[in-house]
Amino acid sequence: MKTVLAQISPHLGDVEKNLDLHLRTIATARKKNADLVVFPELSLTGYTLMDLVPDVALEPDNHPQFRKLVLASQKIDIALGFVEERGKGLFYNSAAYLSAGRILHIHRKAFLPTGGMFEEAKFFARGQTFQTFTSRFGKTGLMICRDFLSPGAGYLYLAGRADIIIVLSAAPGRGMTAGNAFATSRMWELMGETISFFSTAFVIYCNRAGFEDGKAFAGGSFVFGPDGRRRVKAAEAEEALVIADLPLEDIRAARKKWTFLRDDRPEVILHSLQKIVGTHED
Amino acid sequence: MKIDAPFVEKVLCAFIREELKKFGFRKGILGLSGGLDSSVCAALAAKAIGRKNVLGMILPYKNTFGRDVEDARLLARKLGIPTRLIDIAPMVDAYFSQYPTDNRIRIGNKMARERMSILYDHSVIERALVLGTSNKTELLIGYGTIHGDMACAINPLGDLYKTQVRALAAHLRLPSRILKKEPTAGLWPGQTDEGEIGLSYEEIDRILYQLVDERKTPDEVIASGFGKDAVKRIETLLINSEFKRKMPPIAKISARTIGHDFLYSYDRNR
Repeated sequence: MKTVLAQISPHLGDVEKNLDLHLRTIATARKKNADLVVFPELSLTGYTLMDLVPDVALEPDNHPQFRKLVLASQKIDIALGFVEERGKGLFYNSAAYLSAGRILHIHRKAFLPTGGMFEEAKFFARGQTFQTFTSRFGKTGLMICRDFLSPGAGYLYLAGRADIIIVLSAAPGRGMTAGNAFATSRMWELMGETISFFSTAFVIYCNRAGFEDGKAFAGGSFVFGPDGRRRVKAAEAEEALVIADLPLEDIRAARKKWTFLRDDRPEVILHSLQKIVGTHED
Repeated sequence: MKIDAPFVEKVLCAFIREELKKFGFRKGILGLSGGLDSSVCAALAAKAIGRKNVLGMILPYKNTFGRDVEDARLLARKLGIPTRLIDIAPMVDAYFSQYPTDNRIRIGNKMARERMSILYDHSVIERALVLGTSNKTELLIGYGTIHGDMACAINPLGDLYKTQVRALAAHLRLPSRILKKEPTAGLWPGQTDEGEIGLSYEEIDRILYQLVDERKTPDEVIASGFGKDAVKRIETLLINSEFKRKMPPIAKISARTIGHDFLYSYDRNR
């Protein structure tokens, strides 16, 4: 599975320009014979949208601009981020997986960071589920940025038997203490290493670059293999296009060696969770 | 508080380059005081957008700060950026001949705002964006003139404490005269920030870092080994200068009000 991580810097609030950027990037990925191209969170709109959310929202099934992206997926699979409108006026921070000229799956961000520099729950409705789907590469799960920092959400894709976990991110860099990177870059890799190893699955993480209102998006996109080893890493805090050749047979090889998936007991987890949720105190 | 200076340089240069591009500018303009902050900002801008696209405005009052003008010129020569020198004395004197005072703060603020006014006027002539040079320390303790030296279009240095700016300056190999210079707001000759506040920048920065970045309480900072008076003084400066870091409040009477629930990014549609 030849994968392109498109570490782009979208234009804030300009869907037309971003559509063009997507189509050009997809064309480049196709020239490199890629099977899959992954874009960052809200790649079609930019991140710090605030009151622009309704203006850039679209219903993916019957939107002319989105249709162009769906058509572009005939020979290459595409994962991208956009503002999804449902039921007239419900707006989600969503990720779509496009393949063979159709929308295969849509994931709605469930964990909306709100606090400190983040305000997502002020502007977006919350997604409710983490559902794997079958892509031509195997069982696949999508996550959006903060979703990935929830170990519980990561577990759901393990329980869902994901072979490939794709994370679309718009993570700003914070902290200057690390060498040649933002301090927060370590946090993402830590989860990437952990989830890939214990799920024996590929973790493909595509972050964005560029600035919005002084926030520097940290880039540093990466892929971890099902053995927990990092396969590629993009530059920190700058635009990049990274190609990774990901041998899908590595999944089986990892699962021969480590039986975490076989030994998983979702019914125990569910039973325990029900007890915990039932006794939660405010 | 240590910074990885090459990485910080890379991010700040990208910030300057990308913000100018988004707003359709090729050039940046800034006041060169001969001090550390404006020198670092000029050096970053020269790297980010090319030395010929950075205009250093040297804006002395007569020859009050004679050495500073020399230092500003020295820096500009080293960076290879063009400069323009304008003596602000005629404008400032014209005003104070009408409203005389010996209040040094009023005179200093007037000078800072005169410089701002000239910078913004020349930014139109040059089709350049005004680059800010206020560092995190002075922004947090309110050590700047509102609508004066604090005014700018973008500020690359506002998240670096003074001591971190110094570390960045050393990495950028700025002239040692500028590296060693005592920080001053330049309100009057012989004024130094440290003399006025009564604490060294190392102390101020370490106190602020704990209060702001680490969100410690003043008592926790005192317990870490700082004098109670020093911590309280910094805390008071921090609280009392909030107004300088905010847009002025707008009385909300309509359904949708600027700053309250009319919410857009600075960089929207860019």
